[in-house]
Formats: sequence, C-alpha cells, structure tokens
Amino acid sequence: MSNVVDIRGASKSFVGVRALDNVSIDLAAGEIHALLGENGAGKSTLIKIITGVYVPDSGIMKLGGQEVSFRSPRDAINAGIAAVHQERNLVPAFGIAENICLDRLPVRHGLLDRAAILADAEVWMKTIGLKLDPATPVRQLSVAQLQLVEIAKALSLRSRVLLLDEPTASITPHEADRLFEVLRDLRSRGVAMLFVSHRLEEVLALCDRVTVLRDGRNTAIGQPIEGIGRRDLIRLMIGRDEETTVPPRSHASDGAVALELKGVATAAAHRDINLTLHRGEILGLYGLVGCGRSELAKAIIGAISVTAGEVSVGGRPARIRSVADALARYRIGYVSEDRKGEGIVLDQAIATNIAVTVWTRLARRWSRFLSRTREYAAVRPIAERLQIRAPSLAVLAGKLSGGNQQKVSVAKWLLAGTEILIMDEPTVGIDVNTKAALHRLIRELADDGKAILLISSDMPEIVAVADRMAVMNAFRIVGMVENTHSYQDMSAKIMHVIHGVADADAETAGSGRVA
Amino acid sequence: MTSIDAAPSRRRYLPAWATRPEIGLVVIIVLMIAIFSVTAPGFLSPFNTFAVARDLAVAIVLGYAMMVVLAVGGMNLAVGSIGVCVAMATAGLQAAGVPAILSVACGVAAGAALGGVNGVLVVRTGLSSFMITLATMSIYFGAMLLLSGAEAIRDLDPGFIYFGRARIAGVLPVMFLVAVVVAIALTYFYRATALGRQTLFTGANPKAAELSGVPVVRTVVLAHALSGLLAGVAAIMLTARTGAGVPSMAGQIGRDWLLPAFIAPVLGGSALAGGSVAIVGTFLGATLVAVLGSGLRMVNIGDFWIELFLGIILAIAVIADRARALWSSGDRGQ
Amino acid sequence: MKRARAIQLLRTGNAGLALILLVAIVALAIANPAFLTSFNLYVVLTSVALWTCVALAQMTTLSTGQMSLSVGSLGGLVAIVVGGLCELWGVPLPLAIAAGLAVGFAGGFLNGILIATTGINSFIITLATFSAFHGLTMGLTRAIPFYHMPASLKALGNARFGAVPLMLGIVLVVALVVDLIFQRTRIGRYMLAYGGNATSAVLSGLSTRKVVIFAHTMSGLLSAIAAILTVGRLQIAQPTIGEDWLIISFAAPIIGGASLTGGYVSVTGTLLALALLAVINDALVLLGVDPFWVQVVLGGLILAVVSVNRLREGRRLGEAIAR
Repeated sequence: MSNVVDIRGASKSFVGVRALDNVSIDLAAGEIHALLGENGAGKSTLIKIITGVYVPDSGIMKLGGQEVSFRSPRDAINAGIAAVHQERNLVPAFGIAENICLDRLPVRHGLLDRAAILADAEVWMKTIGLKLDPATPVRQLSVAQLQLVEIAKALSLRSRVLLLDEPTASITPHEADRLFEVLRDLRSRGVAMLFVSHRLEEVLALCDRVTVLRDGRNTAIGQPIEGIGRRDLIRLMIGRDEETTVPPRSHASDGAVALELKGVATAAAHRDINLTLHRGEILGLYGLVGCGRSELAKAIIGAISVTAGEVSVGGRPARIRSVADALARYRIGYVSEDRKGEGIVLDQAIATNIAVTVWTRLARRWSRFLSRTREYAAVRPIAERLQIRAPSLAVLAGKLSGGNQQKVSVAKWLLAGTEILIMDEPTVGIDVNTKAALHRLIRELADDGKAILLISSDMPEIVAVADRMAVMNAFRIVGMVENTHSYQDMSAKIMHVIHGVADADAETAGSGRVA
Repeated sequence: MTSIDAAPSRRRYLPAWATRPEIGLVVIIVLMIAIFSVTAPGFLSPFNTFAVARDLAVAIVLGYAMMVVLAVGGMNLAVGSIGVCVAMATAGLQAAGVPAILSVACGVAAGAALGGVNGVLVVRTGLSSFMITLATMSIYFGAMLLLSGAEAIRDLDPGFIYFGRARIAGVLPVMFLVAVVVAIALTYFYRATALGRQTLFTGANPKAAELSGVPVVRTVVLAHALSGLLAGVAAIMLTARTGAGVPSMAGQIGRDWLLPAFIAPVLGGSALAGGSVAIVGTFLGATLVAVLGSGLRMVNIGDFWIELFLGIILAIAVIADRARALWSSGDRGQ
Repeated sequence: MKRARAIQLLRTGNAGLALILLVAIVALAIANPAFLTSFNLYVVLTSVALWTCVALAQMTTLSTGQMSLSVGSLGGLVAIVVGGLCELWGVPLPLAIAAGLAVGFAGGFLNGILIATTGINSFIITLATFSAFHGLTMGLTRAIPFYHMPASLKALGNARFGAVPLMLGIVLVVALVVDLIFQRTRIGRYMLAYGGNATSAVLSGLSTRKVVIFAHTMSGLLSAIAAILTVGRLQIAQPTIGEDWLIISFAAPIIGGASLTGGYVSVTGTLLALALLAVINDALVLLGVDPFWVQVVLGGLILAVVSVNRLREGRRLGEAIAR
C-alpha cells in the first residue's frame, strides 16, 4: 500500500542547530496520525517542511508514491496538502462561503456568481456540520467556529492530506468533541490527517498511529496506538533515565522571599495565581504550550497588567508599571522565549544588546555622556563570563548562533544586576554545550543568592535544574511539587498534576472555559 | 575564537568603505559641482554659494526633523505645519515687540510642544504616526490660519533679520553654522547619550526594547517632540532669510515640505523603518538636492522641473537601496 | 433571515453616519434657513460631486491596505493635459478627455508597477511620484492655467437641474461602478482579500502583483475623472488642481468606515462622509464662522474617527481572529 505522504530521512539545520536529524514519517489514507514532541523537538520544523515553508537539507518526500519538492506553501497546497494552523488564515470581513471558496471564486458574465459560491460552500459546511448563515462575516465567529471554517476550506481544496496544528488549543472541551466527530467522519471518507497536539488524552482517544520526535530525531515512527499508554508516550517524548547534566545543588535557599504573588489575576486571563519565589532558589514553572506561562512572566515584569491580587518583592508590596520600572526599582529581569523577536535586536551590535539595560547608569551625570569605552568595559567581563563567541562586540547580534544569541539575551540582565530573573524556555533550539553552560550559569546565579523562575517545557531540563516546580495549566497554577531529581518520578508526578486536572475539566463538559 | 556562521563572502569589487552611501553622495555632489561650474557661469560665485548655503541650512535641519522621527520607527507629516506655526508665532511675537532671542526660544518651544502632542497621540491611541500626523498637519495648519488670519507678518526684529543675512568670510552664512551645530548635537545625541541609544534601539525593535527596560513611551514622545523642535528651527531660519512670517511658506497644510524633509534622510541612508540614523548622510543628501537645484536653475531649467527631478531621484534612491539590501542578504539561506 | 440581515445593516456604521448627517442637516437648516435654498444646496452637492472621485481614488488603494499620496498631483497633471490639448491644439473634447483618462491610467499604473515589483511601501513610492507629477505639471505649464476651455466641458461642470448638478449624476454612476467592482467582481474581492489578510490571499493563489497594479491603476483613473470634472467646474485648467485633495482623500473613506489596514471599504459610507463634510463646510460659511476652521475640523474628525475605530477593532479582535 503506498502511503499518501511518505517522508524519509528529512534533515534540516539552521545556524548552529540541527532542528531535524534524519526524520521519517508516513501518512496513510483514512487515518488520524498523531505527531508528538515537546517544544524544540522539531515538530514545527517538520510541519513547515510538509507545508512547503521550509526546504529540507536532505531527505525524500513522496506524495502518493511520487517524489515531490515544495518551493513555497502554494506548491504544497496545489499538491493536495491543506493545513489548519494555530493562526487563522481567513479574511475577516468576508463571509464564510467566500472564505471557503476564495481560491476559486466563480464568475458569471464578469460578475461574481453568488449562488455558485453559496452552493459550493454549503457542501463543505454540511460535511463539517457547520450550521451557520454562509454570509456571516468570519470576524464575528468564535474560535471554534473559525477552526471549522478553516477545515471546511481545507477540505474544499480536495486535499488528500489535512494537517491540524494544535486544533484544540483555544476551544472548549465540548467544541473539541464536536471536532473529533468531524475528524472521525473524515477518516471514514479516506482523508489522511496529521494531528499535532500536546494533549495526550486526545491523542490516545482519537488517533490511530503516532510518530514522536525528541531533540530532532524520531523516537517512534508510525507506531499503532493500540497498547500504548500515557506513560509510554511521555517516555517517548521526554526520554528516560538520562544522565543529569548537573548534580543536585549544594546551596539551599536561605528562605528569604524574593517575589510573592497572592491571588493575582491579569489582563491575560490568569486567575488566582499564588506563587512564592525565594532568594537563592530555582523555581521551575512547567506547563504545556499555551497555558499562560510567558504571559504570567510578562505580567510579573510589568508588560501585561495585573488586574487583581497582590504582588510583593522582598516582602514589600510592589506596583510594577512597566518593564523599565521592574528593572530599575525591583531588579526583575525577563529573558524572553522569543529570542529573535523579543530577546535581542538582530540589527544591533552585541555590545548594544547587552548594555541596553544599563545605559542610563553608564551615562555621566552632568553631560549625559555615554562613552563607547565605558560601555565596552562594562560589557566585556559579562561577555567573557558567558563565553560569548564573536570576533568582536561590534558584530551584529543577528549573525550569532542561537546559543550565543541566547547568551546575549541573558547577559544584559546580568549586567544590570537583576536579583530576580525569569527565564522563559532558555534552551530551546540551542546546541547541547551551550545548554549545559546555561544550566551551570543558572546554578551559579542561584548560588549567588538570586531568585530564578525557570519556565520550561523541557522535562529533563526542569527536573535537573529546578529545586521546586510549579505546574501550570489553562492560566492557573494547578500544583506545586518538590523535585526529587529523578525522571520517572517527576515526569509522572507532573503529568499527573496536569492531566489529572484536565480530565476533571473534560468531565464538566460545556463549562465554556476557554484556555 | 569564532564560531559564527557568517554568510559566504561575495567577491568584492570595491572595498567595504567605498560602498557606503555617504561616499556615493560625495562623489555625485563633486561631479555635479564640477559639471555645473562649467556649464553654468556664476555657479561658484560667492553670491550663489551664499544663497545656496542659506537654503541648504534650512533643508538640512528639515531633513533632520524627519530623520529623528524615522529613527524611532515613525514619521512626521506635520513638519510643514509645525514649521509654519512656529514661524508665525515667532514673527508674531517679534511684531508685538518681544526681543528676537526670546521669540525664537518661544517658537522653538512651541515646535517641541506641537511635536510632543503628536508623540503623545501616537502612544496613547496606538495608531500609526502616519495617521496621527496626517490629522495634526491639518489641525495645526488650520489653527495657524485662524490665529494669523492668513496674513504675512513683516514687522520683524532687525537683529533677527540681520542674522538671516549675516555671513562669515563673505561666503558662509551664519545660518549654515546652525545646521552644522545641529548635526554635531545629533551625532552626540545618538552616539553618546542613553536617550539617543534607547531611541535607536526602540526604532529597531520596539517590543524587544520595551522588554529590555527601555522606556519606550518616553522615547517615542521625545522623538516626536525633537522632530517638532527641529521643524521649528528650520522654519525660524527660513523666516529670517525671507524677512517675514509667511503663512504659505510650506504650502497648503505644509505639504511642500514633505518631499525635502523625506528626501534628505532617504538619500542619506537612514532606515525608513527605524533603528539607524545617517547624520552625515542626511547632510549630504540635502546638499545634493540643493546643489542640483541651484545648478539646474542656473542653466535655466525652470524651478518647476526641479521637483520632477527630485521625485525621480527619490524613487531611484529607494529602489537602489532596496536592491542593495536584497543583494547583501540574498545568500543568507532560508 | 432577511430580518436579521436588515437588522445587521442598521447596526453598521453607515446607519450611524447617516443619522449624524441627518442631524447636521436639520440643525443647519434651523440655524440658517438659507441652507435650504436651491442655490446653496447646489453648492453643497457640487462639492460632494467634485470630491467623490477623489475619495474613491484613495479608497481604492486603502482597500488593499496601501495608500497613494499622488492622488492630487496626478489629478493636476490630468487637468493640464486635458486643458492643454483643448486650448493649444484644439483637440475635440471627447478625445482630450480620453487622453486625460489615459494619463490617469498611466500614472496609476506606474505607481502600481513600482510598488509591485520593488516591494517598497506605497508611502514612499507615491511620495516620489507625487513630487514627480506635480513637478511635471508645473514645469509644463510654468504655473499658468489654460483659460480657454471648450463650452461643452464648462457646461458639464456647471449644468444643473435645480439644486442637482449634472456632475453629481455622473459621479454617482461612477460610485455605483466602483461599488460593483468591490462587491461583485473577482478582482475587487481580491483587492479586499489582500487588504484583509494578505497571507490568506496569497495562499489562495491570488497574484499580489495583479492586485496592487489594478488598485493603483483604478485609483489613477478615478483621479483623472475628478480632475476633468474640476476643470469643467472651474472653467479653467489650473495646474494647482489637486493640491488640496490630500486630506479629503483620506478623511472621507476613513470616516466612511474604511479600515486603515485594508480589507474593508464602503462606497456608501464614503459618500455619506463626503456629504457630511460638505455640510460642515457649508455650515462654517453660512454661520459666518472663520473658514479656516475647516482644516481644524477635518483633522479633528479624522483623529476622532480613527480613535473610535481603533477601540472598536481592539474589542472585536480580542474575540475571534487571532493575530
């Protein structure tokens, strides 16, 4: 039986990092195939190769037995691969029907054939079970409805392959169930579906086979879901019994509270967040993609507003109005997970990127004069401590490898002398050596008495490095666990905390709560 | 000590420094001066040099007025309107007997205030500076018309008018020194002050700047205020040269100043999207335009055709810059 | 279903705008009954007629999320071409008009081609062509208008039936055609699709190049129509025609509900906005208010409308469409 999609040995590297290493996956008609993997495992790279955004460095991709090579997303669409991404690709002011038929608007006597558009769209809307007025502008629809429209649109392209990327990320469990019915129906009609998700219970309930990626490689290729349990999936995703890269800490925290959140709610839909961070402690914040961790970090640092509850720093109540405020008054820093978009400025020099937090301090009092010499003198020791590899500090940050860029992103907070540092997914897409170096750095900082909040969905990382862990799901803190530094132990504990709560959610169907 | 994956090096036909836009501008300017000095008698005369330098001074400062707001990633369509407001205010004060220096100080402050309003509106509403300054260019111009009754003010302080005529060594207008001082001040600002560095950082990536603790709001507002201030300075210089405050000096709602204000920074290599400034480049860009204009005038190509030329030059300059950007990043994979 | 549709229509911004317009008319009629005289209404409607195509020209580029600063100066160029052909070479009017339209077409096409092939943003490209066209216009005429326009052109610009200028009929037809293009033709929908979500449009196979070029070319044609009518109205071909078009070309579509980033435009809204602006303008005159208030009011209105739009958009965006 020839598969609808067959990828063998796909590899893709970006500057300094091997995102995919000899990865294979195959899709058969009439199946729902799960693609699993943690952040940074290579899932999104593989998806982008399938949808024509990236061209693989090596490997073969076959569609229906014939070798293909996509140069653009349009190529992929023309070849029959339709994707429903997390971002919506619909025209907001247009109606449902028009969005569905956008690539083939029928014309009669020079004018748009409205009747034909409606007829065309209704077929697909019925297939999906979307019972709405086809003329409704899509900007009035809910997220779940939008998703269904996108699926209808994808199907109307008569694609052989339907790729769904985190389809249940922003919809209620009730809407998710409806979606699954639709997918099962499509399966019976012979559509090949690639289902990308973090939610294991969904995968177990819905999918036929599973392919798992870890660190850019397959740990499972097209394995039938029968007989596989949740723990097996977790083990495939996060590995087992790996050597701890860092020994357990010798220094314990001295107990002083650096940062405390009580009953905090934010403009980003967080509710009732309680969190305590001590000096000299590394607190891990674990959660799945989209559960609100980065937003919480941004709320702490003042980029998102806190709407309720109390935030206190060093035991005293704090009103943090902006990031500049957080840095200057409370010495809080945030290393963004979006390294290239928020962590550093690619078009500026390394020295500029590092010194940005201390410019006002470096400038002389009266003349406001800020000399390059002083700037470089301040930056150099930090750059050396972090071993940032570059011919000079004047090199543009965009030219560095991912690992070095991350070091630059961290360096500016070190230079500013932050006492509380939030690090958001600091080692995603970074080479192993730099990863280890960053872990060591985090340890050192904590030993120095700094308070670190480590946000990560990399289980081995968080288990190795953190002292304690807070677990987040759906914009709430759902549990705190002490770290025993043993993988099987911790991964089971954490997953139980997350999925245990998620199961409870599913039981209260129609609760209407959107993640 | 390097593990940077640099782009594969292209075979260079020219050394790196020679491809900088400033060098190209200097070459073109020198060429033009050479050609015009031959084809247009009197081009290099002290009289003409003085006249050109005076207009050039205004154009340079106007170019800087746009450059400082491009730096932070925005634009200021209201430069002309703010300019004419300041001009009329300054002239009006002088006509009312206020000493020249005070009237200039007030005028400049007014320019900064009007620019500051733009900045605050941009930050508060989250709208693009294009939209905001499109609206304020009209509002400011209307306000000016209302207050001045659209009548020119000729009753200026004699000292002020003298400043407009003063020259050094018979050739160099004192006004030109003002432009040079502004250039030096801006260089200092962007290279060696925290606020200037923060401004460029914000222009390059506002989100990253905010998350790095840069006070983005303050930076944007101050950039717009600086733009208004410089537009005011340019207007004051022009008023001194003309000897009168003229409501139509920048055209209907100030639109006549849009081209000169943009063309200097663009020719000079300032990034339109923000993040970098070319102070010398802007200076040279304005010089190129002034030399070209003067030369064409002297060979009897009407004033009117010059605008056509400039439009074409602007188009060529942006296209060439775009081509250069694509060429240099073309081999950076993916 | 029909009832729901009707209710939806009522809820749209156009209804609000029409209401404001009505209120303004009534208020003005009460404040100064001279407003309702045939002559005065004729003046108001003439303003609307002259500005309609100007506003539609900018509205067209706004639909794709771009803009054209050269709407006015292209108009000026067309005006002197038509004027020059008539006066200097005695070209018959229909031919001269055709030539004018061709110039508008060419100018718009130039903008479109430059933007589409270089990928440079429309602001700077049209800033350059704005200067070029204006310079060309001034250079060719040395700022001297053409004074001897054919009688038929003058009649076109000044004929009226009571309070209704002939021009109004013409521009309403043009407006209808433009509306038809945006509502019922493929290229029109593509322009809006591109403005609404460029990624989606490109993924649906639409050619960015075609859309951009068409939009700017159409805009150029509309500028040309406005220019020709203006020449007729003024009875001379002035090279300064178009110099005051910039603000109104943006104000009317925006007040009429057009989205700043593209994807939604409203011909009806634009027309209502023009009517409102014309009434306001007239009010200033009739009430003896300093006419220089017009600039302030225009700017203030733009600011108010975009700020309100922004608030509305912000709320809606938070609900469904992400990013």
